[in-house]
Amino acid sequence: MSEKRKYKKRYCKYCEAKVDFMDYKDVGALRFSLSERYKIMPRRLTGNCKRHQDMISIVIKRARAAALVPYTVTRKAVVTAPFENLR
Amino acid sequence: MRNYENLVIVKPTLTAEEIQNSIKAIEEVITSNGGEIATTDSMGMRKLAYQIDKNERGYFHVIYYTVAPSSISEIERRFRINEELLRFVTIKYDTNREVSAWNSLVEKANKKAAVSAKVETPVVEAPVAEETPAVEAPATEAPAAE
Repeated sequence: MSEKRKYKKRYCKYCEAKVDFMDYKDVGALRFSLSERYKIMPRRLTGNCKRHQDMISIVIKRARAAALVPYTVTRKAVVTAPFENLR
Repeated sequence: MRNYENLVIVKPTLTAEEIQNSIKAIEEVITSNGGEIATTDSMGMRKLAYQIDKNERGYFHVIYYTVAPSSISEIERRFRINEELLRFVTIKYDTNREVSAWNSLVEKANKKAAVSAKVETPVVEAPVAEETPAVEAPATEAPAAE
């Protein structure tokens, strides 16, 4: 009984685009690796390679410090228009 | 000398003139510590992702500069004293890859500044030539601007 693959085979989209450097100010590009609650998506779901996952996690943390991306989205601190900033 | 980038968020409660003055003061801090400002990029008034000192908005300004690594601590100390700053983020560009990224970022910021300068001139003269299509307006103004 072979297990069927539940999802598509994953590959690193950053490797495909040959990303060498990520800019923390480019918030739209970070969307891919953020969940809807602005958590950093795990590698097992996005399919990022280790190298690019390390890069994106550093970049997201920088963007959080710069108030470009929220740290948390809770029910109490509701963001009125969560993706308004991320054009 | 090493390449750095600084993002500063200025208080939104200030008037536009005061914001420009405080940004000038910030750049003065860098230059007085032996830094050379490569370019600046103002991202304008933006909504913050979360409140900082009960402020919902802030004026974002990015400065690219090169300075000796030893004077960074002094620059940051001066930033901390400055009460007009909500937040600052200093990024170091050290490795070869990062340095080339820094160069491309500087170029991008320069281009953006040039484009916005070009856009501004037609905007001022737009009311004069009301009926002309928007596509033609920049083309006609561009040679005059240069």
